[in-house]
Amino acid sequence: MLATIASATLLGVTGTPVRVEVHVSAGLPGFSIVGQPDAPCREARDRVRAAILSSGLSWPNRRVTVNLAPSGVRKAGAGLDLAIAIGLLVADQQVPAAVVAQVGFIGEVGLDGSIRPVPGALPLVDALDVETVVLAPGSAVEAQLAGRHVIRSAASMRDLLASLTGDQPWPPLPSPDDLPPWSEPADLADVRGQPVPRFALEVAAAGGHHLLMSGPPGSGKTMLAQRLPGLLPLLDHDDALETTRVHSAAGVPLPPGGLVRRPPFRAPHHGASSVAIIGGGGAYLQPGEISIATNGVLFLDELAEFNVEVLDSLRQPLEEGVVRVARASHRTTFPARFQLVGAMNPCPCGDGGSPGGCRCSEHALARYVRRLSGPLVDRFDLRVPVTRPDPRHVVGGEPGESSASVAERVVAARARAAERGVRCNALLRSAELEQHAPLAAGVAERLESMLRDNRLSARGLQRVRRVALTLADLADEGPPLRAEHLDTAVSLRTEPMATALRLAG
Amino acid sequence: MTSSDTELPPEAWVTALASLDGMGPSSLRALLAQHETADEAWRTVRRGGFSPPPSAVPGPPGRAERVVAAWATTAATFDVAGCWQRHVEAGIGIVLRGTASYPAAFVDDPLPPSILFHLGDPDVVVGTRVAIVGTRDCTRYGYDLAFEMARDLSTAGISVVSGLALGIDSAAHAGALDADLAPPIAVVGSGLDVVYPRRNGPLWRRVAARGVVWSEYPLGSPAVAWHFPSRNRLIAALADVVVVVESHGKGGALLTADDAEQRGRPVMAVPGPVHSPSSVGCNELLAQSPATAMARNATDVLVAIGLQSRSQRPSTERRPSPAPDDRVVLDALGWQPATLDHLLLRTGRSIPELASALVRLEHDGWVAPRGGWYERVAKPGG
Repeated sequence: MLATIASATLLGVTGTPVRVEVHVSAGLPGFSIVGQPDAPCREARDRVRAAILSSGLSWPNRRVTVNLAPSGVRKAGAGLDLAIAIGLLVADQQVPAAVVAQVGFIGEVGLDGSIRPVPGALPLVDALDVETVVLAPGSAVEAQLAGRHVIRSAASMRDLLASLTGDQPWPPLPSPDDLPPWSEPADLADVRGQPVPRFALEVAAAGGHHLLMSGPPGSGKTMLAQRLPGLLPLLDHDDALETTRVHSAAGVPLPPGGLVRRPPFRAPHHGASSVAIIGGGGAYLQPGEISIATNGVLFLDELAEFNVEVLDSLRQPLEEGVVRVARASHRTTFPARFQLVGAMNPCPCGDGGSPGGCRCSEHALARYVRRLSGPLVDRFDLRVPVTRPDPRHVVGGEPGESSASVAERVVAARARAAERGVRCNALLRSAELEQHAPLAAGVAERLESMLRDNRLSARGLQRVRRVALTLADLADEGPPLRAEHLDTAVSLRTEPMATALRLAG
Repeated sequence: MTSSDTELPPEAWVTALASLDGMGPSSLRALLAQHETADEAWRTVRRGGFSPPPSAVPGPPGRAERVVAAWATTAATFDVAGCWQRHVEAGIGIVLRGTASYPAAFVDDPLPPSILFHLGDPDVVVGTRVAIVGTRDCTRYGYDLAFEMARDLSTAGISVVSGLALGIDSAAHAGALDADLAPPIAVVGSGLDVVYPRRNGPLWRRVAARGVVWSEYPLGSPAVAWHFPSRNRLIAALADVVVVVESHGKGGALLTADDAEQRGRPVMAVPGPVHSPSSVGCNELLAQSPATAMARNATDVLVAIGLQSRSQRPSTERRPSPAPDDRVVLDALGWQPATLDHLLLRTGRSIPELASALVRLEHDGWVAPRGGWYERVAKPGG
């Protein structure tokens, strides 16, 4: 007797439909799984057998063959367990075939017959072309985001069979009203003093510009960076779904309600490997930190301590908004449209915060600067020094402006960008700048003199112009760009101290 | 030894000796003092028969023996003639101690160099000389001061001696070359073909073209850390007065000042802001050592060495004066580095207003940005 059950497996952040075919026939008792299962998937044999027996069902003392079709795709993880178990029960005629037609199953089974969630429930459900999908209760919320299916959940095989055959109703799905509220992100009001870094943060939020902060230890770079997500608008539905998909596949805990509405904030440690940052690794390619941060903020603290290869591999995703990961047998594309925020000490000794303060050896400084390739530093439209705040502001100073009131200006500025057809000004192409960021009278001469003084490069000019446009938007003026906007944009794009030290003399 | 080797001049033998790894100035001096001629000294080393003075080869017990053995091994196969030939072909002048061309400044030195290599004209070492030394990591204040002082001294016909390092050294040479009225003099700590730091190459060549670059080390010697203190003693010996422009609490410039004091050369220091880490050494010198005089400008130095400035360069301000609004920003900046954050608090202006003022001041040469900080520029030309 043969049974076919619908399920799906994950490759990168997309699901691939898998038909689980179970054949039970006369012959020597045995159980084999074919069709490119990876190690956790092959181990389904032992889990499924124990789960069926502990659920009070019987194990066929016959020859059982499971084929995972299409056989050309590698099946990864334990998500096919449930489909294999149901297929076996149907093939052994313990469950009528009619009740599983047009039903997909996704989940891992425990030896006690419980059904457990697997990463990537959202993309897996999305890949299925059936009416109903059954998952573990823990996956039910995100599974509903796919929107095309009737979602059912069951906590154990025993409950599942009872609901399938109509002996008991399906358990209710968690309602959004029961969900705990979101935790509020850190507020900008906590930052005392430091007007320039605060302003740079606002500009970064409004224009989507990458931001590099350079300052001595303890000057509050991390504190500032953590407050960027609170300034960004909530994600629209498509972006939220894209980010949720990646988080689901990467096994990142989803917020209550399933949908990632708040821009993610990821802060990998500087010891992170290239695979952890970019993605890949293992049989099924996993998204890296840059993809988990998609539509949000990737914060690299101690930027100059990161591996050079890791930093250089950021350049292509920064340019294209996607990262292509290829291995010998398969390749995939991950979304990687993130806003980069870097923080670094001015130099290895950390004292180079002001000119003449650094005590680093020539050699140590050279090695430090070598990690920051010019092209990478160039990607940061906003580069500001952060100094330790004035003690008078830290103790007993007025709290700064709150995130909420800054966010209002950010939303208004982004609305102007939306009229230009982009999410934010950082995404405007150079060719579009002429049209969208015209210069006020007399400003062109000023730019020419900056180019002549070597204060700006031709490429830097385009980047400065984008930031100036954001500044004009934030001031609620919009184009044409006045001299003040360009001067401010130039002042917010300083050379990192380490490079300045290296080039001194 | 081939027959041609016996006809080699003493310079060739001493160059070969100096080329041996670990043969520092004091070992070489002790070795040559024990022998009549240089080729005799070479034969002793090749035999392994020379034990350097313990102070010249510091380290754990047994190191001296290993060094002597290594010298003997190297010397056995060393191409003395070829080594000398390379120096001649590269246009490197070689001066031995005790010869007529040996600079008078070193003759009575407590630690005279046994051999000197030079690029450029060695005969420019006449007349009054002032060493301008300081930290590599200088501020704009120090750079401007060193540049200006060197330029004004050179204008007064005084040769400026420095070490061709980054920071103050570079400023001193650049300033002297700017006036170009007295030949610049440099002493370096590496072979004359090893330009260190590399990006000072153009400056190095200009000093060699207009003046002279000295070194105690033969071609190919790397710039290793232990070369620099002995390089500093040569700078001190060459100068009639040593001016420290900016120095951290510990620094090579302070060693040069010590060397100068031991040789009875007057030491002067440029005072700096009390809180500036790169002026700690100078302020310390001024506060602690009664012999150290204050050098605020070239005139102070000229007075200290009893020379009247021969040509007073009238101070001409070619920069357009800043607009009244910008002048307020310039005054708020003062003479210590500040960030935009600091200036916002001091002036109470908005970020765009300040940014525009700073761009104008920078364009006219009143301020210079560096790593997100702004520094006031004393005079243009640096």
